[in-house]
Amino acid sequence: MATDSGISGYGSHLQAKFVTRQERYSVGDSPFSVPASVGIPELSSLINKLLNRDSEDAPAVDFDFLIHGEFLRVALGKHLEENGISTESVVEIEYLEKHPAPQPAGSILHDDWVSSVQTANHRIVTGSYDNAVRIWTQDGENLVVMHYHSDPVKTVAWIQTDDSESLLVSGSMDQTLLIWRWNETTQKHECLHSCRGHAGSVESVAVDQSHTKIASGSMDSMLKVWSAVPGGDDEEIDETHHKKAKTEVHKPRTRTPLRTFDGHSQGISSLVWLDERSLCTASWDHTMQLWDVEQGEHVSTLTGNKVFLSVSYSPHCKLLATGSTDRHIRLWDPRQKDGVLVKSSLTHHHGWVSSVDWSPDNENLLISGSYDKTLKLWDTRSPRAPLYNMSGLDDKIFAVDWSQSELLLCGGADNALHIFKAAEALQAAES
Amino acid sequence: MADTSTSLKRKSNPFEKEIKITEKEEEDLFVDAPLDDDDDDDDDVDLEGDSEDEELEEEMTDSEESALSDEESDDDDDHDDSGGDDDDNDVEEKEHFDGDDEQDDEAENTKPKSKGKLTRLTQQLRQRRSHLQTSTKLDNETAPSQLTSTDDNAVKTGAETPTASKVVDEYEFDSSDEEDIRNTVGNIPMEWYDDYPHIGYDVKGQKILRPPKRDELEEFLEKMDNPDYWRTVHDKMTGRDIVLPDEDVALIQRIQDGRYPETTFDPYEPWVDFFTHEKMIHPVTRRPEHKRSFIPSLLEKDKVSKMLHSIRMGWLKPRKEKKDADDRPKFYDIWSNEALVELTKRHHSHIAAPKEKLPGHEESYRPPPEYLPTEEEIKEWKEAHPEDRKMDFIPLTFDCFRKVPAYRDYVRERFERCLDLYLCPRQRKMRVQVQPEDLLPTLPKPKDLQPFPTTQAVVYLGHQSYVRTISVDPTGQWLVSGSDDKTVRFWEVSSGRCMKKLDVDGTVKCVAWCPNTAVCLVAISVEEKVHLINPGLGDKLIVSDTDRLLESYEEPEEVKKSSLVEWTEASEEAKEKGFRLCLKHFKPTKQIAWHGKGDYFGTVVPDGGHSSVLIHQLSKRRSQTPFKKSKGLVQAISFHPSRPYFFVATQRFVRVYNLLKQELSKKLLTNAKWISSIAIHPGGDNVLVSSYDCRLSWFDMDLSVKPYKTLRHHRQAIRQVCYHRRYPLFASSGDDGLVIVCHGQVYNDLLQNAQIVPVKILRGHEVTNSLGVLACEFHPSQPWLFSSGADGTIRLFT
Repeated sequence: MATDSGISGYGSHLQAKFVTRQERYSVGDSPFSVPASVGIPELSSLINKLLNRDSEDAPAVDFDFLIHGEFLRVALGKHLEENGISTESVVEIEYLEKHPAPQPAGSILHDDWVSSVQTANHRIVTGSYDNAVRIWTQDGENLVVMHYHSDPVKTVAWIQTDDSESLLVSGSMDQTLLIWRWNETTQKHECLHSCRGHAGSVESVAVDQSHTKIASGSMDSMLKVWSAVPGGDDEEIDETHHKKAKTEVHKPRTRTPLRTFDGHSQGISSLVWLDERSLCTASWDHTMQLWDVEQGEHVSTLTGNKVFLSVSYSPHCKLLATGSTDRHIRLWDPRQKDGVLVKSSLTHHHGWVSSVDWSPDNENLLISGSYDKTLKLWDTRSPRAPLYNMSGLDDKIFAVDWSQSELLLCGGADNALHIFKAAEALQAAES
Repeated sequence: MADTSTSLKRKSNPFEKEIKITEKEEEDLFVDAPLDDDDDDDDDVDLEGDSEDEELEEEMTDSEESALSDEESDDDDDHDDSGGDDDDNDVEEKEHFDGDDEQDDEAENTKPKSKGKLTRLTQQLRQRRSHLQTSTKLDNETAPSQLTSTDDNAVKTGAETPTASKVVDEYEFDSSDEEDIRNTVGNIPMEWYDDYPHIGYDVKGQKILRPPKRDELEEFLEKMDNPDYWRTVHDKMTGRDIVLPDEDVALIQRIQDGRYPETTFDPYEPWVDFFTHEKMIHPVTRRPEHKRSFIPSLLEKDKVSKMLHSIRMGWLKPRKEKKDADDRPKFYDIWSNEALVELTKRHHSHIAAPKEKLPGHEESYRPPPEYLPTEEEIKEWKEAHPEDRKMDFIPLTFDCFRKVPAYRDYVRERFERCLDLYLCPRQRKMRVQVQPEDLLPTLPKPKDLQPFPTTQAVVYLGHQSYVRTISVDPTGQWLVSGSDDKTVRFWEVSSGRCMKKLDVDGTVKCVAWCPNTAVCLVAISVEEKVHLINPGLGDKLIVSDTDRLLESYEEPEEVKKSSLVEWTEASEEAKEKGFRLCLKHFKPTKQIAWHGKGDYFGTVVPDGGHSSVLIHQLSKRRSQTPFKKSKGLVQAISFHPSRPYFFVATQRFVRVYNLLKQELSKKLLTNAKWISSIAIHPGGDNVLVSSYDCRLSWFDMDLSVKPYKTLRHHRQAIRQVCYHRRYPLFASSGDDGLVIVCHGQVYNDLLQNAQIVPVKILRGHEVTNSLGVLACEFHPSQPWLFSSGADGTIRLFT
């Protein structure tokens, strides 16, 4: 590598033009001659010098540099060489303020492994292997522990949150989904409905944008869509479930699925709503399938070559991100029907990627949790190295969540929910 | 030859007797020759006309005078006067010449009759005979001298005759063409004159009177009296009796004896090739070319006109002329057979003589002392047979080079070298350059045989001691493991979560998940007990169904209790934990193997003797011992995945039993010292047998009872081997802490053997107490491999 750099010419200079979309850091169009050996710190200090940001009142800003839509991670000359960009012409380098590192904001200890997590309205719901669903504040205060599942909770999701009353759904290995109502002010919760019909552990639930439908995927390879609206005519009083009821407040009423989709040959590990009517399910049979819920039909299939563990959809960039039983995060274009379905793959993990989640407001950012005990923050423009690597976790990560832009959550086999707070992302607001 | 013959024919001349004879010899060749000859004769006679005739007449006259001396005196004048007759006589003479042979034949009765086949021998014979004839005619001695003038030299003047007589002439004594002029009737049957008193006419026309005929008595008297009677012949022409002279009698005698008539005749004369096949510059004869030979033949003309006509009519195509081929200059590629040269090159290629051994230190004039032989060695050398000696010389040492004597063995060495070269086999040794890589079979790259487990993904932690056995549920979601820490644990495959932990009262030897997906049962062998456990994992409906199924069992009226196995239901307390049934064996059990349908399972009781294999039926809760006799220490059993076959691995052999026919179907010879486990390919035709002596044998049961392939990848004992149910993979785990994954593709085509490629060595387990990986099992649907080791961990490789 050193010789490569030598060939590309340490000491040799190339013409670079610096542009930015962040107006306040603009330095003008004039090209600069920079040595090929420079890296991010040198370029960053160059920009800072141009902006006269050395003084105390205007502290230096860390910048990241994009060349042809890809982050600069090594020396400039080497990067150009690797990507086959000519060093003869003027290289246009886009720079932007570096995404600030998420700050660890503590961990919330659980009694058992944390299998799932989701935030909404600054409230965190977690599912755990001790069969309980818990609600926490951002600061780690346990608001409620809800017991009704007889087996480990595999997945949780908020249906809707209000300041006073919230609805959430949880799926468990006991093959049921429970719809809970929780009133924060009264600190009361009740299990409204027990959604029964799955013949395997419920691996994933997702609530659509209209907050009226719940989709659930199970290890019995079925995709079922349920109504998320509490009450209704189709409910029946569950007579047989009394044994499992831990909370004797209310017997939840059984709810049957609105629709069942059968198409996978093995269990569904994860699913996500693409829009109000279409769903994507990721399965152990190495495929992802797209469904039209309104029409009740299968739309298309995306075939991979590994078991999918997690899927996430970003409405900003219209891409699916998947984690599977290898070390790659793959980005898929669900609208593409043929050709290369995998747009790109992000590779830095060295274990199964158990969970991925897109940033709620940035089209380029996502986080991933892996069995290799790391949480990574990715920018899709940097496929070979993540932006930040949040290590120091003790065990496998099962779930990550980035539902709220300032909260990065991950839970796993170390019985803890780790909270990382993203600093006020400047560029997010501006770009 | 034909040409010369025709020319000969044309040139034939009656005067050249020799030629004429030749003509007769080749008469059959030239049918028209006599006609020509006659013409020629006539012509010649006409040409050479008068002068010759007169001479002839003189000769004749002389001969007649002598011949007829006793009866009539011939008058020369008369003879001259009859000039017209002379011509006739001449002709007659010639005819007589032609026909004289017949006359001779008649006279002698021994002469071969065929005129045309005259040989040189007969020619000579005839010379003599004519001589004989003359003598019978009582010719005088002058006749030969006169006859000489009748030959072709007759054209010459009389003065030249003496020179001609010098030449040995065959006609010298030949008077055969002379007519017997004592009687001029000619060559007619003399019977015609029988009624006349005379028998002919003499030259003068006077009647020749018949001599008085003797009667019988006179004849008899004559016969008695005349001593020469036996050699007397009657001449009808003259009517006289002729006494044959001695030489004629001798001649006749020789002919009768079948000898050559002529004593002087040499049948072995050197051959003179007169008519050679070689073309001579001179013609054989002097005869001028006939004018007909210069005019075109009518026959040929006819033929040519016919051909011309057919050409004009287009029946005959003129031959195509190869003009262009001839015009072109001809080239020859003298290197065209270069390829052949290449082929045959090695026959001519030089084979170097074997090299002589280079001289060593011992051959130095002053070798180091360790090369010098001791006394005993010298003695031994001398006593040894020259062929047995290690060296053919004794190393000698000299103080300085100057003292080295002339080399005595030079000639002998050269001679032996020549002998060596003579006897050395002059053949080119084809040295084969074999790279070690070439000997290896071309296997596909492991990269192309994806997917197979490559990396460790999940570690299942919790066991405190050796994890001896693992089993994956048919859906692939759960894993059960049994350990020496007297616990059985149930795990969630994807997360590594221990879902359940059961304490048992002994080390767990084997766990086996029931292959039937409609029930949720695990069989666990703990010492002499086999527990059937409902782990309560997976589909709740199935779990409850399983319980219902087990509870619905009604004890039959007649219970045939087996003394070996006792079926008991678990207590309520145990039922809470999951225990359902317990099979108490008479001795510790070691292995459990489920049948594919999930109703039967077999257990191995290693110390069980003849009942070391037991088969249990779950639905009827009964056990049976299929074998009456012990065939050895049973190590492992297995059911065929689809057909009613049962595999029993003893210490060294694997026996395959047909369960329907209740007989031994096959016996696989493993060559192993101690079998550790067997695995049956999901197709059912291939068996893997692992042994404690590091050997992994693949059997193709359609092929042979011997291993199709034996793999020795492990350094230490192989503990377990397993097949993948879907992917063409198998894995073996051993005490060296390794799990080796191989690609084992089986083809439906019977002609194609299985392809076995080792693809991956999976490391991860630590060797504890010299025990490595104790069990391995593939995930039922994914290309994942579970392995459990002596370090208390279970690992999932993906």
